[in-house]
Amino acid sequence: MAEISFPLPDLGEGLLEATVLEWLVAVGDQVERNQPFVEVETTKSSVELPSPIAGIVLTLHGEPGDVVLVDTPLITFAVADDSAGIVGTVPQEAAPKRRVRLSAVLDED
Amino acid sequence: MSESTTTATLEISRETAPTPLAQLSMQQAINRALGEILESDDRALIFGEDVGVLGGVFRVTDGLQQRFGANRVFDTPLAESGILGTAIGLAMAGFHPIPEVQFDGFAYPAVNQIITQLARMNYRSRGRLPMQVTLRVPSFGGIRAPEHHGESLESLFAHVPGLKVVAPANPQQAYHLLKHAVSMPDPVIFMEPKARYWNKAGVNLTENVAGDDDRASLEGSVIARSGKHATLIAWGAMVSRCLQVAELAAEDGIELEVLDLRWLKPIDEAGLAASVARTRRAIVVHEGPHTAGLGAEVAALVSQSCFDTLRAPVERVTGFDVPYPSGDLEDEYIPNIDRILFGVQRVLEYRRG
Repeated sequence: MAEISFPLPDLGEGLLEATVLEWLVAVGDQVERNQPFVEVETTKSSVELPSPIAGIVLTLHGEPGDVVLVDTPLITFAVADDSAGIVGTVPQEAAPKRRVRLSAVLDED
Repeated sequence: MSESTTTATLEISRETAPTPLAQLSMQQAINRALGEILESDDRALIFGEDVGVLGGVFRVTDGLQQRFGANRVFDTPLAESGILGTAIGLAMAGFHPIPEVQFDGFAYPAVNQIITQLARMNYRSRGRLPMQVTLRVPSFGGIRAPEHHGESLESLFAHVPGLKVVAPANPQQAYHLLKHAVSMPDPVIFMEPKARYWNKAGVNLTENVAGDDDRASLEGSVIARSGKHATLIAWGAMVSRCLQVAELAAEDGIELEVLDLRWLKPIDEAGLAASVARTRRAIVVHEGPHTAGLGAEVAALVSQSCFDTLRAPVERVTGFDVPYPSGDLEDEYIPNIDRILFGVQRVLEYRRG
């Protein structure tokens, strides 16, 4: 397993921070990609943030009411080392299957 | 005389001190190579979409920004033309950029920069502005990804004078070929077979692929498996598939040689000729579309050099002349084991006249 930390993004234009309103997930939860995991409030609005990846929640950085700065860690996930990344899936290695057999009269000239 | 003595000494020293192999996936091998390049070459820079903070969508640049700072490993806007334009300017200023376009299909927006600037700046400036740029392109299909994430661009880039194109087939080659590519004074398109990113294999971190003489073993093709009845010619992810086919063919008493072409520009004409001169039959396998695919170039080269000894026309087992399909149809598009075996059978049963 590897750890991936997701920092608070700039949710508006030039915002510096946001306040954690409510965590929608808990440590140990399996989170899917695009699943909302937190609601934060900025000076402009309150928004739910979707998870950028699938993984297991390791750490929530901050309690409800805490202020988190943009670009500092918000949540840390544990992900499988072989997770494919943003798109696609890891190809499964299977024993090769065949339907075609070879037949040849091999001239050894 | 003195030459052979040197070789003998080298071989003895290798035998007495075998290097332990590191078990690495291709993404880990490339990550390691990139780290070592940044360490040893102050002018090397890595940039692209999500390569910095995130560490790359395939985790290939994982941890590099933390180690080397955001001045040397940095994220770019989602604009491939800008990524390549930046690389060209940096190379003109003496840097050694290693940009990444996140997926094969995203290289299209940068094709203008690649062809009209990157490939010919050295030529245009009469050698005053060499483009020491290695463009990493996660390439080919096989991971059930959406459109633009499974393309094979090798014949497009191989057609452009001034570019070199290389595709490693396993972690060992990825590690050494990348370090070699970055040291070249020319622009190199480094096509990483993303379907093979996760397969772990032993990597000898101190010695090169073929184990013989240093840089020489990083040029040209390699024989991945020896055989005598026909040569399967492949690159990237198709090499491991052809090795599976060779294993199956052996059950039928057919010994297939597998030639890993590695360098798609320049193509190792001598290596191709040497293999097919022995086996006298050749099948070239690639994922890209059939028409004007690199297999046509390979077939022409083999036909020219081995015309008198070939027992059958060079067979091509390739993708189809359609846009790369969605994930559900991928297995029908990419040459599968049976299609390759059919190709082998066609070559084996061909009779002249």
